[in-house]
Amino acid sequence: MQLDQILLAIAIAAYVTGALVLIAYFLSRNELMQRIGMPLAIVGCVAQFAELGTRWAISGIWPLTNLYGSLSLFSAMGVLIFLIFGFRYRLWFAGGFVLLIAAIALGYATTWNEGFMPPVPALQSYWIKIHVPLVVSSYAAFMLSFVVSVLYLIKYYGEQHFANGSAVKAAAATPAGSIPITVQSTYSALGDDEIVIGTPRGDSPAIAAAAERGSAVAQWLATLPSLAKLDVMIYRVVGVGLPLLTIGIITGAMWAKESWGAYWQWDPKETAALVSWIVYASYMHLHTRNAWRGMRSAWLSVFGFATIMFCYLGVNIWISGLHSYKV
Amino acid sequence: MATAAEHLRAGLQETVDDFLRLFASVYFAVSLFGVWGFLTLIGVIVEQGKTQDFYWANYAPPLARLILRLDLDNIYHSAAYVGIIALILTSLAVCTFKRVIPARLPPLRTVRIDHIPLHATIPVEGDEREIRSRIERFFSSTGWFVRKRELGGEEWTFADRHNWARRGVLVAHIGFVIIAAGTTWYWARGFSGETAILTGATETIPQTGAQIKLDRFNYRFDPIQTKAGLVYQPIDYVSQVQYVGKDGVARSATIRVNHPLDIDGTLYYQAAYGFGAQFVLTKDGRVTPFSPTGLLKEGDSFSVGGDRALEYEQFVGTVDPKTGRPTADPRPNNPAVVVRMIAGDTPMASGLIPVGSSIDLGDGYRLSVPRYAIYSGFQYRYDPGMPLVGIGAFVLLGGLCIAFYFLPARLYVKLTGSDRKWSLGIAATTVKGYEVFEDQFRELVAALRRAANQKETKACS
Repeated sequence: MQLDQILLAIAIAAYVTGALVLIAYFLSRNELMQRIGMPLAIVGCVAQFAELGTRWAISGIWPLTNLYGSLSLFSAMGVLIFLIFGFRYRLWFAGGFVLLIAAIALGYATTWNEGFMPPVPALQSYWIKIHVPLVVSSYAAFMLSFVVSVLYLIKYYGEQHFANGSAVKAAAATPAGSIPITVQSTYSALGDDEIVIGTPRGDSPAIAAAAERGSAVAQWLATLPSLAKLDVMIYRVVGVGLPLLTIGIITGAMWAKESWGAYWQWDPKETAALVSWIVYASYMHLHTRNAWRGMRSAWLSVFGFATIMFCYLGVNIWISGLHSYKV
Repeated sequence: MATAAEHLRAGLQETVDDFLRLFASVYFAVSLFGVWGFLTLIGVIVEQGKTQDFYWANYAPPLARLILRLDLDNIYHSAAYVGIIALILTSLAVCTFKRVIPARLPPLRTVRIDHIPLHATIPVEGDEREIRSRIERFFSSTGWFVRKRELGGEEWTFADRHNWARRGVLVAHIGFVIIAAGTTWYWARGFSGETAILTGATETIPQTGAQIKLDRFNYRFDPIQTKAGLVYQPIDYVSQVQYVGKDGVARSATIRVNHPLDIDGTLYYQAAYGFGAQFVLTKDGRVTPFSPTGLLKEGDSFSVGGDRALEYEQFVGTVDPKTGRPTADPRPNNPAVVVRMIAGDTPMASGLIPVGSSIDLGDGYRLSVPRYAIYSGFQYRYDPGMPLVGIGAFVLLGGLCIAFYFLPARLYVKLTGSDRKWSLGIAATTVKGYEVFEDQFRELVAALRRAANQKETKACS
């Protein structure tokens, strides 16, 4: 067994185990699970980058010239971006799903592994080391925004469910970001009991009320960050993905100009990427409107990721074009 | 008369206002984005630029009719597509002037600190002047632009950060306009085309008059064993050419994929290659006048009398000598050509003719292929708008980064109290709501408290 295969096996094992442990953390909020899952995510991510590096070292061929390589990078970057956001914004509750998607992507990638194939002439360019990582990293960021969006929607519809027929229904329907400033409570999150900051809270009062009444589901939903916070996290992750996608499209256009003579050829891959860009640009525009922050923009983020998947896998596999480098 | 003129003017003004209101609306812009995305998606799903027959053959008749009637077969150049881009650019321009440029930070004014969702109060002890000095030093050292104002008899401190970043959207919009200008310049002044040159032949580019002679074309395929079987992977395509540009001087050059040749500002790209074949049609052993004089390229055909024609359909690199069938090896080890008889518009039988041999067509006719020659396909393009598009792309990107990563925020700070016991009130507003600044605000307040170097603080709410 070669070193790259050993590293691949370590990465898949770490992702699968980490996914299970972090999903257990998501469901139980047992801190021990988080403390186990987080290092597993790091081990898997490091092993994967090492695997890609090893393939490059063994063959001398840049490892991102086919779907196997790009899917490998997709899962590695997805986990890396998750780790960065995890450390910065305590996003660990989403980790199980991120690692699960990473494991599935990596497992699927292995079905496209044809060994060490030298790149076709069009791919023999320094641009491949710039364009592909950027684009794949943007896909990975959108994957994380998709996961957080789904969690947002779970909490949002949980709130709707518990609010149904109760007096707090109207408050629950208020989109995140447009909470009336009169709806205020206080909390202390500084680790410093002496300072209390007044902030807009209570955007899921029905869940809080149901949790107090003893509903296990509500108690679990209450452990998720507030809807407003989840909305901000989605926005921040999309704020990473969209510039990456923009640079990716720009560098792709520059490469296309050098390779094919035109920076835009309306190739299916290019146009599908443009569609995804339009969706996320719409997300950013609509997120400036109070009425669109929250549930609607979370759905838009989910839709955006669907377009990304179509652009990434659908076009590569089902539609032939200038980007048909799947093997 | 004057009343009618005023009426007209008022009506016109109302129309202009309605137009500006509509085109400055974010929802309208996003709706245009939606239509743009939908039309673009159609272009991904429906194959573009094919013949009418292709759509009739590959789609259900109602769908094929729809595609052809609505120009969905060439959607990116349809009036609808160009129109939607024009509408987006108009919306972008109106938005820029109606929304983005007029955007200003609110004037410095007093606020009810506890009415702003992000607020905190820190009790501070000490000399007032010293405290104010510490606060100012703290904000200045952490990158805030501090201003003091005496308003309503009270001294307020206002701290702004990244106020300039409000222009990020404007910068991004300008980037779009520059890209559009570069693309328009290409449409107005640029050109593109393609040519295929047989080995040893010279072609003249009609738009520039440049002459290109193909000395030699080399390719390299490596046989690679994969899980799916043996694959012949293309590794390199190289054209050795001689060219004469505007200065009349002959030069030699190499063109390969990703390495275009620049002749007087027009770039020539290695795009394709193929095999030209010579066909000789004889009847009863004598060459007929239908025989083509030069080499034909794949897809070319020649008449053989009446409404019948022979089409050179495909070059086959290697024919298995045992089975007589084409193999996957594209290299011309044992080459042959596939020829198809066409009657009117109807394709008839196809046949494989090994190079150097002939086949019997019946009635005394024989078709032979005595030789072949490789040709190289080039695309060429003159694009004077390219630098503008590149600049626009990076301006757009810069604008996006400014808009996403620099959050303009304002802090309202007021010190109240007396006799060395003070209450430091602080509230924050941003251009993107409160939640997005919550974490930073917490860190800021904690740091401010440390900077004030006080031991006792109390809750504000």
